[in-house]
Amino acid sequence: MKQTAIVLILLFVSVSVWAQEEPAEPRLTLEVEPSELNLKVGEKATLVATVLDRDGNIVERPVVFFSRRRRSVSINPAGNVEAYRPGEHVLIAMLPKDPEDLHRRADALLTVEIPVTIPNPPAASVEFVELPSAFYAGTVAPIETRVTDTAGANRPDVEVRLETSDESIASLDELGSLSFKKAGMVRITAHAESVRGHIDIDVAADPVTSFELIASGDDVRTGDVVFFEAKALDVNGKAVPDYPVQFATYARPEAGIIAAGATAQIDEDGAFVAERPGLHTIVAVAGNHVARKTIKARARNVRKEIEVLGQGPVRDRHTSDLWVWEAPDGRDYAMTGTWGADGHAYFWDVTEPNSIQLVDTVRVDARTVNDVKITEDGATAIISREGASNRKNGLVILDVSNPTDGVRVIARYDDQLNGGVHNIFIHEGHVYALSNGRRYDIISIEDPTNPYRVGRFELDTPGHGVHDVWVVDGIAYSSNWYDGVVAVDVGGGGQGGAPNNPVKLGSYAYPSGWNHAAFPYKSQSTGKFYAFAGDEAFPYPKDDRPGAPPQRAAGWIHVIEWDEWDEPKEVARYQVPEAGSHNLWVEDDVLYIGYYGGGLRVVDISGELRGDLYKQGREIAFWHPYDPKSVTPNAPNVWGVQPYKGTIFLADFTSGLWAVKLVEPKKRFMGEPTN
Amino acid sequence: MKSTILAIVLGLAGATNARAADRPQRNYFVYVCAESDDTVHKLRYGPSGLAEVKSISVGAFPAETEGPHGITVSPNGRYWFLSIAHGRPFGSIHKFDTTDDEWLGDVTVGMFPATLSISPSTGLLFAVNFDLHGDMKPSSISVVETSTMTEVERIDVGIMPHGSRMNAKGTRLYSVNMMSDSLVEIDTFKFEVSRTLSLFDSAEDEDLLGRMSMKVKPTWATAPTPENRIYVAGNGDNVIYEIDLVAWKVARKLDAGDGMGPYNLEVTSDGKLLIATYKSGAYVAIWDLTLGEELARIKTTRRIPHGVAVSDDDKYAFVTLEGVGGEPGTVEVYDLASQERVAVADVGKQAGGIIFWKGAQ
Repeated sequence: MKQTAIVLILLFVSVSVWAQEEPAEPRLTLEVEPSELNLKVGEKATLVATVLDRDGNIVERPVVFFSRRRRSVSINPAGNVEAYRPGEHVLIAMLPKDPEDLHRRADALLTVEIPVTIPNPPAASVEFVELPSAFYAGTVAPIETRVTDTAGANRPDVEVRLETSDESIASLDELGSLSFKKAGMVRITAHAESVRGHIDIDVAADPVTSFELIASGDDVRTGDVVFFEAKALDVNGKAVPDYPVQFATYARPEAGIIAAGATAQIDEDGAFVAERPGLHTIVAVAGNHVARKTIKARARNVRKEIEVLGQGPVRDRHTSDLWVWEAPDGRDYAMTGTWGADGHAYFWDVTEPNSIQLVDTVRVDARTVNDVKITEDGATAIISREGASNRKNGLVILDVSNPTDGVRVIARYDDQLNGGVHNIFIHEGHVYALSNGRRYDIISIEDPTNPYRVGRFELDTPGHGVHDVWVVDGIAYSSNWYDGVVAVDVGGGGQGGAPNNPVKLGSYAYPSGWNHAAFPYKSQSTGKFYAFAGDEAFPYPKDDRPGAPPQRAAGWIHVIEWDEWDEPKEVARYQVPEAGSHNLWVEDDVLYIGYYGGGLRVVDISGELRGDLYKQGREIAFWHPYDPKSVTPNAPNVWGVQPYKGTIFLADFTSGLWAVKLVEPKKRFMGEPTN
Repeated sequence: MKSTILAIVLGLAGATNARAADRPQRNYFVYVCAESDDTVHKLRYGPSGLAEVKSISVGAFPAETEGPHGITVSPNGRYWFLSIAHGRPFGSIHKFDTTDDEWLGDVTVGMFPATLSISPSTGLLFAVNFDLHGDMKPSSISVVETSTMTEVERIDVGIMPHGSRMNAKGTRLYSVNMMSDSLVEIDTFKFEVSRTLSLFDSAEDEDLLGRMSMKVKPTWATAPTPENRIYVAGNGDNVIYEIDLVAWKVARKLDAGDGMGPYNLEVTSDGKLLIATYKSGAYVAIWDLTLGEELARIKTTRRIPHGVAVSDDDKYAFVTLEGVGGEPGTVEVYDLASQERVAVADVGKQAGGIIFWKGAQ
């Protein structure tokens, strides 16, 4: 190829634009052939631009091509066009005033717009999907269709028109709901562009003679999930299969609550959860049958307050992660890392949380010690390195069997970890260490003085990355941004996995692509298995003024019910609207979150989980570690949290280590009855 | 070390900001990357000395260090381009306006993009995908169309491609492969490697690009001199290689001395002086290329000297010092006539990539 990569182009004429008055320039025209394009997705074409003087002679001047929607249609400097997405697009050919300035924002002497039409591929089929097994007179059923185009893509944008063969049996409204009026055969036809599909429905007479609503509980707290079952029985008392039921709910909030907003939610499967205390009525509708049930939801009343026990202040540099453990010497310690500084890790005696003592400091060649972890026996620590002066980074292994008498470096390991290790986890003699945010390496530390790699796990999706990994019972849960949470058998998944043979079990991704951390947890109260997946996101602009607080974050905790590897289901969220989540921990059905500028958050996750936990009054406590002497004064930015022996330890980015505990709240009037 | 090196200036400690009378009458502007602070610093050296004009935050994730590494300015001076080494996991190239330093666009490229060069003939940007953290296998150079910030091609090169510079016309790019001990010449119109040269055994076989060697560890190539010479820093063997571009062979070896670790090089536009950072030794050296003699060797004020850029009038060399750990990065200015350091200013941590932007009254 590629001499054509030069931007100068000569040839045919079709579009002309005369230059405006430019004293220094002769009158020129810019002509582009072809003047418009009509391309299919994936099709290519070439534009040819010619610059002519007033006498029609070719002038050798560079012409700049660019696309106003480069993700839909691209053009390179040689004029080669490729169509990516359907739509009406425009390409630009531009003659810059300065022949040396070949950028799209250069001052233009002439421009020519080339319309590009990329039509959608035509629909190839339309089919009915997720249909119930039976249809009954008197009921309403939403009809779902799926259009597939000739390129094999689903096309929700294509309008589907439904048609019934017999309005007296089945009628359609404008939104596609199908009402069955009486028993009989009817054909429903779906039209999408030039294709159509149909389904023949045998509408049965309504067999239901008894319709009843049953609740799994009737005196509950906000946040408790109540399962409602609508029992549709025939004359013989038998359940009618696939009888379509719709649920709705309304409430009379507790006296004193005015303009409450939404008071509860009920899912399609009948799972109800109240957000406000009061009397809630659940309505089940099925054809001509209606059933109601009213239950009382009391305030959840889990609110506690935070009492500060102590601080291990770090006020001259940023603090990163923490780990709290009992060392073989019988005392309790916390280890904290540092961020964007001088490669320090701090060791604190926290046996008395109200008297935190710094007992040792380790400094390694790094700018960030982002993560710190301890082996299960409490004798060995691993810290991660980023920003090493020799760019080798990797891990440093420490003897922490008696931190009070000193922490000792016993090994370094950087083989193929020189891209920086952002996060690590230790499980049964192995370190799971992120390598350059691309994969995690699995390193044996059975002999801590002689670490060696035994395996690695890397996704194969385009542009994949990994941010964190947490291992429980032989299953590694990594957090992979757009690829979501990925579960991998490393010995406990029953799929033949091992540290030297990691085997993927399943994954769950969500649209934002913000998945940053995950904490696997089996609910003590329900036995259900959840992954609590935390976001990290910074959509707000940075404030560069001196002394400005750390950049505001966004994001929340996604609660993924994951009892079967191939059936993860996101069922609930905990979201502080004005702040963003970071690291998290779950213990004894309580969720602890370092919520950056939102401080420490403690959340009750007992029982079934559905909906918005924040609005349900499940938040037990929140607290902001204000410190007027911190790196940025009074700018809380909680990085990580760990409950330990009844104390909550947290690492704050600007002020260091804190120890707090939950205490009974004082009675406070909050303006209305609260959760 | 050669005995002819008589003019060594040793251990000039501390900041040596020039007296006001010695300062230039003109202002010189440079952009500097602070790799461990995710900032780019715009500095001015002029009648009022060396000072930061502006600090620009770059990257998207304040909780991650994304690593601004390589930097260049468009031939017309209107835009600056920055490589950000760490992504998810691929790095990216970002475009900024030199007028207000506003971000204009970006494109994702390969692993750990490092040095950047722009062809004045085509406007195309060439970014080496250093792939510092991957397996030791051949990497590539990304070609980016800078109007739309679109990657249009990847050119396969050797293992760990790093320091590269363009010829004046923008028709050839010279780039070294650290772990293949090789130099490549890229035809910037054809998007292909036109010549390869082993710095270890003078082989010219293309297969050498995939061969691990690691004896020379070349880290940077200069732009060609008027005499059709380029210079390559042998960081591993402490040699500066002079390459005859006509004969395409090593014409001369300049011994930097044991433990010096020459890293980045820049030649003056007349091809007479070469300025080198000695990364391991923590020196800046000035070589007379006619004589093949080191005229001066000056201890830097901080550890790990990294980048070097020469002013458009060949009067000054601007050098970055990374520092270690929590130390700030530093920019030093050297007067090439007196061969002395004349100014020092601290910037963000791990100052590395540097590019001369413009001189102005």
